[in-house]
Amino acid sequence: MQDTRALIEDIVEMKEEQALAKTQQLLAQGVPALDLFDAYRKALEEVGKRYEKQIYFIPELILGGRMMQSALEIIKPHLDHATTKGPSKLGKVLIATVAGDIHDIGKNMVTMLMDISGFEVLDLGVDVPAEKIVAEAKGFRPDIVGLSGLLTLAFDSMKAVVGNLAESGMRNTVKVIIGGGQMDDQVCKYVGADAFVTDAVAGINICKGWVS
Amino acid sequence: MTEGWENLSSSQRQEAFLAKWASGEGIPFVSEEAKASYQYRAGLIKDAVTLKKTPDRVPVVPLAIFAPVMLYGYSGMQAMYDPHILGKVCLDYTRDYDVDATVIPPMVMYGPALDVLGYQLYKWPGHGIKEELSYQFVEKEYMKAEDYDHFIADPSDYWFRVWLPRTHGSLEPLAQLPPLYGTMELPMAGPWLCSLGAPPIQEAYKALLEAGRVSFEWIQALGPYIGQMVASGYPIYAGGVAKAPFDVLGDSFRGTTELMMDLYRRPEKVLAAADRLVPLMIGMGAGGAAANNNPLVFIPLHKGADGFMSNEQFEKFYWPSLKKVIIGLAENGCVPCCFVEGGYNQRLEYLAEVPKGECVFIFDRTDMAKAREVLGGKACIGGGFPVSLIITGTVQQVEDETKRLLDVEAGNGGYILSIGCAMDEAREHTLKAFIQTGKTYGKY
Repeated sequence: MQDTRALIEDIVEMKEEQALAKTQQLLAQGVPALDLFDAYRKALEEVGKRYEKQIYFIPELILGGRMMQSALEIIKPHLDHATTKGPSKLGKVLIATVAGDIHDIGKNMVTMLMDISGFEVLDLGVDVPAEKIVAEAKGFRPDIVGLSGLLTLAFDSMKAVVGNLAESGMRNTVKVIIGGGQMDDQVCKYVGADAFVTDAVAGINICKGWVS
Repeated sequence: MTEGWENLSSSQRQEAFLAKWASGEGIPFVSEEAKASYQYRAGLIKDAVTLKKTPDRVPVVPLAIFAPVMLYGYSGMQAMYDPHILGKVCLDYTRDYDVDATVIPPMVMYGPALDVLGYQLYKWPGHGIKEELSYQFVEKEYMKAEDYDHFIADPSDYWFRVWLPRTHGSLEPLAQLPPLYGTMELPMAGPWLCSLGAPPIQEAYKALLEAGRVSFEWIQALGPYIGQMVASGYPIYAGGVAKAPFDVLGDSFRGTTELMMDLYRRPEKVLAAADRLVPLMIGMGAGGAAANNNPLVFIPLHKGADGFMSNEQFEKFYWPSLKKVIIGLAENGCVPCCFVEGGYNQRLEYLAEVPKGECVFIFDRTDMAKAREVLGGKACIGGGFPVSLIITGTVQQVEDETKRLLDVEAGNGGYILSIGCAMDEAREHTLKAFIQTGKTYGKY
């Protein structure tokens, strides 16, 4: 663990090239791949904490995520698949940008953070019709359905998803959270969601609260 | 423009341009009444902007792009493919909703021109988006990290020979063109001219000319409707458009994801590129304002909002080049109207740095009481009304919120009542309630 402390610091301090070099070096020195993977997870947790404290913002979340991606390419061959998914899962999240809306930057950031935080995430992509979200939910059986949308047209698309979940008898077994720049309490009530957020980390925290 | 223009200060130039615009000079009004209405409405805006006089009432200027189309029951596709539908709904909207400054119809754009160009920067109704909806941006890494030096050295060359071919399918062959510089002398002109003759490049230019031809027909058809809007007594809410240099890079060139990582990976390139864009944005905004004889220059702000970056990053990467654009536009007599998307609660002190009474800030999700506190007496402010209430709220809720906002915000002037979003949809009763309440309750 001593070996990875400096690596964690480099990742947290956004020293991308140093972190990557150190990762390769440690791997060559025989540090177990799982320890390196854990180092990245711990570092990204710290990045998330700094984001909550408004020390870090989107650049650090994105770069942190990208560093982990690059590191995984190096260490993945040395890991067995199951371990890269982390320890036991907190819960299952199905996420999508709703019908009509093709924006995905916010959704992708949430997906990455959810994954790092220990959720099992099924990301259905953008412009996903309500029927498809509900059909996928039947198979995946998520604890939480996360709906993303940047545009005002998303209000009705989100409402349709909640309506379809209710018709399928699933509304009481899942929590629904909506996210995007124009979300507020008014929209949350209109849609019939359980919570709304306008930033990614706040969303992760609400979801953690739900499954704990 | 005005006699002795060279000797005027920025604010004197703005005053002169605003006065000329607000006079309605050169507009063939349909009646004396229409002329008086135009002068009254533009006068409200002029007084709110310059902070020198309390207007008769708060000007009511909701921003909209596709909302008129949807309010009159047409699809986004119909509006983008038929200038008569677009023109008619904008004219009807202007008269029926009776706003103090109305929409810019050409912002909806013409689908057939985009079709000819193989336009890839947006998806639009009938072309990757459902017919009834509005267009949406497709953000990608159109400019690679290694392209920064070319962009910084020569943005126009980069724009034309690298970026256009990547974002407009039909213009892809233009990537094969050599630079223009050989034209400076006869013996060196050959390569450029010979390349122009290559069949794929001929096809690309034909596509460009065809897009221009259909766009010209479109604006000829749309123009009379815009003329009627103005001649009936309604100013248009902007003459030109510019953008924050950082947003140009983030939206159309590098993409948000890559640009945000560039802040760590190649910060000096980001700064140089943003700085390089400053005169381009000033020229674009001021050029539009002069062409349309309207000093208001619309500047939508995207990626510097709270949560996107730290104050330190904002202060280093976002604000300096934007501030230069704002000041540069003011020096040209234009009034920069920043549409501040997202929240700016942690940034208001920066905005207060612009010269007094020379810039407008229309907010989206910023705490408006705080905005008034920090910017009151320094800049005209507006917005802050949630679009969610227009779309999902009741008339009563809208009236109550409008009054609440006016109580907090209207002060003794320096305020424009607006909605925190350029609307692509709205609801008739709530939008009318918003406008009407603004006019009656917003009386000074």
